[in-house]
Amino acid sequence: MPHCTVRLSDLNPGEAGSVARVEAKGPIRQRLLEMGFVRGERLEVVKVAPLGDPMEIVIKGYHLSLRREESTCILVVQKDLPDAPEERSA
Amino acid sequence: MNEERHPEPGTKLLVALVGNPNCGKTSLFNALTGSRHHVGNWPGVTVEKRSGAFELDGLQIEVVDLPGIYSLSARSEDERIAAAFVVDPSVDLIVNVLDASNLERNLYLTTQLLELNKPMILALNMVDDAEKQGTSIDLPKLQELLDAPLVPTVGNRGEGVAALRKTIAEARRGQRPPCARVDYGADIEEELRKIEEQIGRDEVLAGGHPASPTALKLLERSPEAEQRLRASHARRAIEGQVRASAAFLEHHLGADCPTLVSERRYGFTHGLVLEVIQTATGDRRGLTERLDALLTNRWLGFPIFFAVMMAVYIATFVIGSYPQGWISAGISWLHDTAAAYLPPGELANLLVEGIIPGVGAVVVFVPVIMILMGCISFLEDTGYMSRAAFIMDRLMHLMGLHGKSFIPLVMGTGCNTPCIQATRTIESRSDRLITILVAPLISCSARLQVYICVAGAFFAPLHAAFVIIGLHVLGFTLAMLMGKALRMTLFRSAVAPFVMELPPYRMPMLRTTAIHMWEKGRVFLVRAGTVIFAGAVLIWFLSHYPGIANQAWSAEHQRSVEAVLAQKLPAEQEAERIEELDLAHQSRIMNSSLAARFGKVLQPLFAPILDPGHRRAEAWKDGVALTAGFAAKEIVVGTLGVVYQSRTESPGKEEGLSPLQKTLRVRSGLTPLTALAFLVFILIYTPCLGTVGMTLKETRSWAWTGFSVAYGLALGWLLSWLLVVVGRMLGFQ
Repeated sequence: MPHCTVRLSDLNPGEAGSVARVEAKGPIRQRLLEMGFVRGERLEVVKVAPLGDPMEIVIKGYHLSLRREESTCILVVQKDLPDAPEERSA
Repeated sequence: MNEERHPEPGTKLLVALVGNPNCGKTSLFNALTGSRHHVGNWPGVTVEKRSGAFELDGLQIEVVDLPGIYSLSARSEDERIAAAFVVDPSVDLIVNVLDASNLERNLYLTTQLLELNKPMILALNMVDDAEKQGTSIDLPKLQELLDAPLVPTVGNRGEGVAALRKTIAEARRGQRPPCARVDYGADIEEELRKIEEQIGRDEVLAGGHPASPTALKLLERSPEAEQRLRASHARRAIEGQVRASAAFLEHHLGADCPTLVSERRYGFTHGLVLEVIQTATGDRRGLTERLDALLTNRWLGFPIFFAVMMAVYIATFVIGSYPQGWISAGISWLHDTAAAYLPPGELANLLVEGIIPGVGAVVVFVPVIMILMGCISFLEDTGYMSRAAFIMDRLMHLMGLHGKSFIPLVMGTGCNTPCIQATRTIESRSDRLITILVAPLISCSARLQVYICVAGAFFAPLHAAFVIIGLHVLGFTLAMLMGKALRMTLFRSAVAPFVMELPPYRMPMLRTTAIHMWEKGRVFLVRAGTVIFAGAVLIWFLSHYPGIANQAWSAEHQRSVEAVLAQKLPAEQEAERIEELDLAHQSRIMNSSLAARFGKVLQPLFAPILDPGHRRAEAWKDGVALTAGFAAKEIVVGTLGVVYQSRTESPGKEEGLSPLQKTLRVRSGLTPLTALAFLVFILIYTPCLGTVGMTLKETRSWAWTGFSVAYGLALGWLLSWLLVVVGRMLGFQ
């Protein structure tokens, strides 16, 4: 299947991808890099907070909460979960 | 170099404890140092500094617990402190605490620490958690690869602590710094060498810090390194080289330098983890995931959160009111005893009316502070605090605040003082400051007493209830608007990223919670207590001088009392007469006091609010009550009683107004409109000296404390004035 680059904020809970680029600037960028958002790193969206923001993701085996402001700055190459083989209806 | 050091027995060793947030560093620190703690502040900042000591083999070992950080990049206040401290020459040894169940990200900080070229010990903490997850870590291999002694520990159970102590003590025999380094690849290493060469031209820059991390930091564009560079005479040459290197690397490696450096570091830690972790599969976060399914659930998250909040509120303000009651009883016993046994005079009055209530005003906060801080420490250690912030963040972000601001603000409805201390859980300084600045707008239980008294005097019961509810709503609304306004003005540039870890749930150690409660209570007494006490004594002075020193008045009062006693009235009647005389005497002192003069000076200022029709000769009396109310809002009612010479208690009947309420209504000249303006002002201006003391303690800044008081007064005046102006336009008086 074709891989497409999307913003992390556009992923739905349960979807996964790998980091393509961090577009944020300054301290936010540095913080994201330190927290593990390096190229090729795999991440997965766990859930979105009840009020729609922030979102919870798993990266490097730990859980992290990100606001939409930050998650729109992160570009990911989307791919389906390896442990979810069933076909999703488009 | 430290390598050849052989200190004599009995000499000191300074150890810095460094690690990520949530790595169990604090419980390890507690276990290492036992009860020998000192809590202070890092110079010039609001971050708490905890240090402790232990002795082994005649060696005095001082341990400093650094703030939990993810990196040494020195961008946040916490990072700056830690980064500056670990490179300090006085630090003999670094103990890097690692969360074994989250090794890869924890090792990122280690890669930076390795570059400092200092002796280092690794404490692999929470190895039990890692084992439970089915992860087994090859300890000898990890030790070998990182080239530093490694001790497995379980901080909250005290396991491995003896071994860690021993390893630390052995370091005095001249442990060499570890040799392990991240390999940044030929291109970056070559550029780093070029930058180091340029740095070598300035012996100050090269001598103070190891050259290699400085070169790296310059490539990473660390503001701290760039600032140090600004003072260098070789600045041009170094900057030129850094710029050239950065351009070269970006062009060749396809990303900017901060990204490249982070990637290499994570490459290193990833490689390490692959080599030392045997099985990392299985149900890694079973319990946490199941709890999260419930606690941050779309429908259940909020009800559970509000139930938790309710429990904390009840524990703090309902259960806390019992010890508070005992303390108040103790203070008033002390007050009555002193009043009965001390010969009347200025000094006795200072003790009885100034110092004892002043001390009382301080210690009465201690139970609520200890309980609330205990609850918050407990919630934080379990990991629930981050979840609470997670579900509340959207709402709080709208008001320019952080998800973690919610709990302190709600606790503010009980009392603003512990609420300001509870902002400690908010990591970012700007978020914390905004929360501290808007917290006093949340109406607390002390202000409720004034609302009940004044609203009850001027409004029918049902309307009074609406007034009281309306004031609370107004407080919350103003807090929101102020938060947003502060975020858009003073804190515009300081946007802190909301990248918050959601750590696994853990059962906290009650010992840690208890230590935390004790420390908070003590620090409050020492730091905020002095300000509150000094303020209480000052306000006593303002409201008693010079009348209290007037011998003629005292003698007159004494003669009147004796005259009443001589009449041999029935006991009840006699007591009543004497009470009236006492009140008249107090009233005379108060109404001629400095506070009264102050109130009269302020009269033109308050006239637009409290006396818009210029018909009240006695409007300054409200000014006296407001001045005294600066100490604490519950004093306002008592002071109104004294200035209007009217008893505050209800006359025994359940219904009807108390004498003070009748006086206010009939004699004071206040109208429902001006009474409402008075209440709005009460809501908004500084709640009490406790909050002022706590604001000063938490911001460590007279400027912010002054700002907090000043904007409260200005906003209070403005809104009350608007209320009166609009009210009069609508035809109210």
